[in-house]
Formats: sequence, C-alpha cells, structure tokens
Amino acid sequence: MAEAQVEATRGKLSLQKSAITSDDITVLINLVGQVQGVVLYGLSEKMGLSLVSRILGQNCTELNSLAQSGIAELGNVITGRATVKLSQAGYQSNISPPTLITGSGVQISTLDFSRIVVPLQTDLGYIIVHLALRSSPPGMQSANFVPLKIQTIAGPSSNT
Amino acid sequence: MNVKFLLPFVEAAYEVLLAETNMELRRGELSLDKAAYYTDDITVIISLVGAVQGTVFYSMSKATGCALATRMMGEEQKEFEALAQSGIAELGNVITGRASVLLSKSGYEVTISPPAMIMGKGAIISTLDFPRLIVPLEGDCGKVMIHLALRENTNQNLKTPDIAVPNRPNI
Repeated sequence: MAEAQVEATRGKLSLQKSAITSDDITVLINLVGQVQGVVLYGLSEKMGLSLVSRILGQNCTELNSLAQSGIAELGNVITGRATVKLSQAGYQSNISPPTLITGSGVQISTLDFSRIVVPLQTDLGYIIVHLALRSSPPGMQSANFVPLKIQTIAGPSSNT
Repeated sequence: MNVKFLLPFVEAAYEVLLAETNMELRRGELSLDKAAYYTDDITVIISLVGAVQGTVFYSMSKATGCALATRMMGEEQKEFEALAQSGIAELGNVITGRASVLLSKSGYEVTISPPAMIMGKGAIISTLDFPRLIVPLEGDCGKVMIHLALRENTNQNLKTPDIAVPNRPNI
C-alpha cells in the first residue's frame, strides 16, 4: 500500500465455497508453481478511482484505460510482492499477467478451490482479497500442467 | 500476438471436444480485438505462464454449456449447476492442457493455471495491453469462442519472485 500511501487494516477472515458475486472491479491473477490457484481483488469503482488518483497524483473521475491499468498494476505488484514472501517461506511460485473484470453482479467461481476472504479496510474504502490457493501435490512442481481429473485426452480412436 | 500460438489451441479444442462430446467443429472467421470483452453467459478463464504468457478465455452461451455438459456426463443437464460448471471448467482445463503439450513440442514450455469461471452476461473483461485473437468454433451444440491474449515471454529465466519490488518506505 506504499504506492497509494494508505494504511490497511485487516478485517475478519472467512472461508467461502460458493461463487463470488463480483464487485464493480475485480482483478484476477493466477498463481502457478508450488502454490497454485487464483487471487481476486474486489473493490468498488469509487475505491478504485480514489486509489488510482493517489497513485498517479492526479484526479481520476472515470474508469478509463489508464485507471484500469493502474488498478491491475496494483494487483500485480501486491501479488508479486506476495510471491517473494511465499518463496522466502519455501514455496516457489510464478504469477500470470492480471485480468480485469468490470461490471458488478456476475458470478465468479473458482470451482473446487475454496476461498479465504480477507477484507482490508483503508481510509479510502474496502478491498476484498479472495485467495483460492492450494499447495501443489508433491512431485508436481516441475510438471508441465496442473493435474487433470479427466484423463481421456487421447485421440478419438482410444475413446471407444 | 503470434499466430503460431493459435494452432495448438484449435487442434486441442478439436481433439478434446470430439473425444469428450463427440462434436465435430468448424472454425469460423478469426478476428483480432483490442477492446475489452463483454462476457457471454459462461466464460472459463485460464492463464498461461512460461515461455508463452497471457490468458485464454473460452466463452459460450448457457444453452451451449448445458448441451456440452449433457454430452460429457451422459445425463441431461437442464440448469447450469455445480456439476455442469465443473464439467465445462474441466473441458477448458483439458483443452488448455493439451494445447500446452503441443506448445511445448514446438519449443514453448508453459505452465497453466487452474480454471476460474465467470457466469453472467455483460461484465467486461479486459486483458489490458494484450490484444485478443478470437477464434469462433462451431459445432452442433452451438458456438464456442476461444479468446487468446498471449505473447511470447522474452525474459524466460526471470521468475516472478526474483523481480525486485521496492520495500515499503517509512511514511
């Protein structure tokens, strides 16, 4: 939060299994490696705009591409910083580029990953961090792709 | 985006959908889109990290999703509920996994993330500075669109935890 010069205090944690109903802005970043899963940052449009205004040092009033990339970048930096700490704790992981979802009321599902929901309160408003992460099964760290439940990806001839 | 990343996905989608749902696909006209994407009923999002990085979306209408799930499970899926959701997400996972194998054969080692799913029309998904290549695939269950927002990662040896992030200043 150094970029926006805001102090964040952590609210009550909760564990959710259902799909999320999205907030105005959601930044989605995936982790792969020894820790894998999805991290979502949900915030309201007002909160997003005031954050971007602080970061850029100029007043942003609409969610244009500059504001969008500012918010996505914030998610990127937070997640990047988190992977440094994870790697210090012995979990090597890599992050994907951020994807920004705008528009409230759609359902975002992380399927069989249950989510730890961390509300962060700042003087600008709330950021809700959703962590749908798990450590990879041993021996899978260097595998080419995540384990698949359905293994019938062979040609159609072997399917019958 | 490099078009050579396209073929593995089309090939994988064709093979996987034929094997899982017995549906033959025809490829529609390709297009390149820089604007944000307005979601269809169902969108599966999977990220790629490695020599090729970016995001892949698979989008379809609810009717197509239900029809595909019905064929996969062998039982009627009328509503797009938990079982159908995991089926469609798994389909995206298998297609992307298969594509990553094909990509690694052509020399691009990639790792894929677990899928996330967005349900609901009208949300806007932006891949920011990655333009999207859109591949419509049509079969008798309906249309499945593949959106590829990928680029070659020139700095392959750099792992994210190695990127220096400044420490919090004393403010």
